[in-house]
Amino acid sequence: MSAAKHILEGRPFKSPLHAALVHIPIALLSLGFLLDAVSWTVRLETWQLPRVAAYAIAFGIAMAVVAALPGLVDYTTIRKDSSAKKIAMLHMILNVTSLALFALSLGLRFDSLDAARTPLGALVASGIAFGVLSYSGYLGGSLVYEEGIGVGRHRRTTPLPTETVVVRSREGENRVLVGLASELSEGGTLRVNASGTLVTIARVDGRLAAFQEYCTHRYAPLSEGCLKDGEVVCPWHNSRFNVRTGAVVQGPAKVNLRTFTVEEHDGNIWLDVPPTPPKAASATPSTARSGQRR
Amino acid sequence: MRHPFVPAVKLIDFLQGKWLGHPLHAAIVHLPLGLWIGSCGFDFAAVLGWSPEVFARLGVFCVGLGLLAALPVIITGLADWSSIKREKPAWKLGVAHMTLNLIATLTFGLNFGLRLEQLDEADPITTPILLSSSAGTVLLFISGYLGSLMSFDHGIGVARGSKDKWRKIAAAGGSNLAEEK
Repeated sequence: MSAAKHILEGRPFKSPLHAALVHIPIALLSLGFLLDAVSWTVRLETWQLPRVAAYAIAFGIAMAVVAALPGLVDYTTIRKDSSAKKIAMLHMILNVTSLALFALSLGLRFDSLDAARTPLGALVASGIAFGVLSYSGYLGGSLVYEEGIGVGRHRRTTPLPTETVVVRSREGENRVLVGLASELSEGGTLRVNASGTLVTIARVDGRLAAFQEYCTHRYAPLSEGCLKDGEVVCPWHNSRFNVRTGAVVQGPAKVNLRTFTVEEHDGNIWLDVPPTPPKAASATPSTARSGQRR
Repeated sequence: MRHPFVPAVKLIDFLQGKWLGHPLHAAIVHLPLGLWIGSCGFDFAAVLGWSPEVFARLGVFCVGLGLLAALPVIITGLADWSSIKREKPAWKLGVAHMTLNLIATLTFGLNFGLRLEQLDEADPITTPILLSSSAGTVLLFISGYLGSLMSFDHGIGVARGSKDKWRKIAAAGGSNLAEEK
């Protein structure tokens, strides 16, 4: 990983740089619209509100461009088939739209900076731009707090899976060919959809291990977890599990992971995936169940 | 079923942003944080002689609106912190984050008073104004960093609103699930 990408992902700060930088443009652009609105409701003849608002908006746009760069880098770290990818794309499109409208609002007030009121067209433009920005900011919040993008990413030092490997077993067989063993290096993971069962295959201490994709606490993607000392660390809340037995080593998770048999043969990865009973969803305490499954 | 604590629980849920789907604190913290840091930058621009009268007014709006927004930010932050277990590392981080933010808020409160007094003078941004907005900004950098550790290193608020959605997805994918409460 290049040093620039390392910093743009915010790894030295244990948190994404994009999330730290967006405070300033969001605050200044919101203030810009607010001052435009105030200029229509309160008479402050000598305050040159259209001009003061223009400064807030201009610096807001400049800082938004700075914040966009690490945002683009974050986008590239999201798995292609993740539900977050579409949200991130919409977030980006709406941000660009909002900035264009704020820039338009600047242009529309250019010859009335000393007026008492922001011209109506400029007010409407900054109002719509603020609305778009608010919704886009909400989507940014969804990316972090619903989808977990960037959460715990700094602990993982190997590349994240870029997509899910989809494999299907033949009728009556549990064993599936996943891919080439050489594609999985130490500390790396594959995210596998084997006939509908989601499995993480990891290489830990040279050997392969396979366990369920979702953490048993709040269902974070364990294929994005950090692997060390024979354990997988959940990216969201730091639960730790033994990769061979699936046992909880450290909470907050309380339920063990389901594990699967995985083998390396002639340079290929073979995974055993027993069919998931349709009622697996109504979880009974699963320590016993995960024992049976193994 | 009337329980004496039901209204309190409802209030905490509201403040934590249950209705929004994500932590409310993280959604509104942009305002004081961005505006106060911005005001410090604008003070430097004014001192360097770049449209001081415009930047001085902009600074008044930044710090003033930031102070107004700080109240809901503090209350929602307290609501988030109240559900962190005492033995978790994030609890102590929260205490440090809160303490630094309170000092920063007081600093910008003082800064706002200085600004208003000086606004119509020939040099609207005096050294005490510049120093207090700079000191406040340094405090915000540190406490903002602690806040980001709470979200991104400890996962506070992450999947709080989406865990039911993820539970269905995990169930469909054949994973063991958390025991139902």
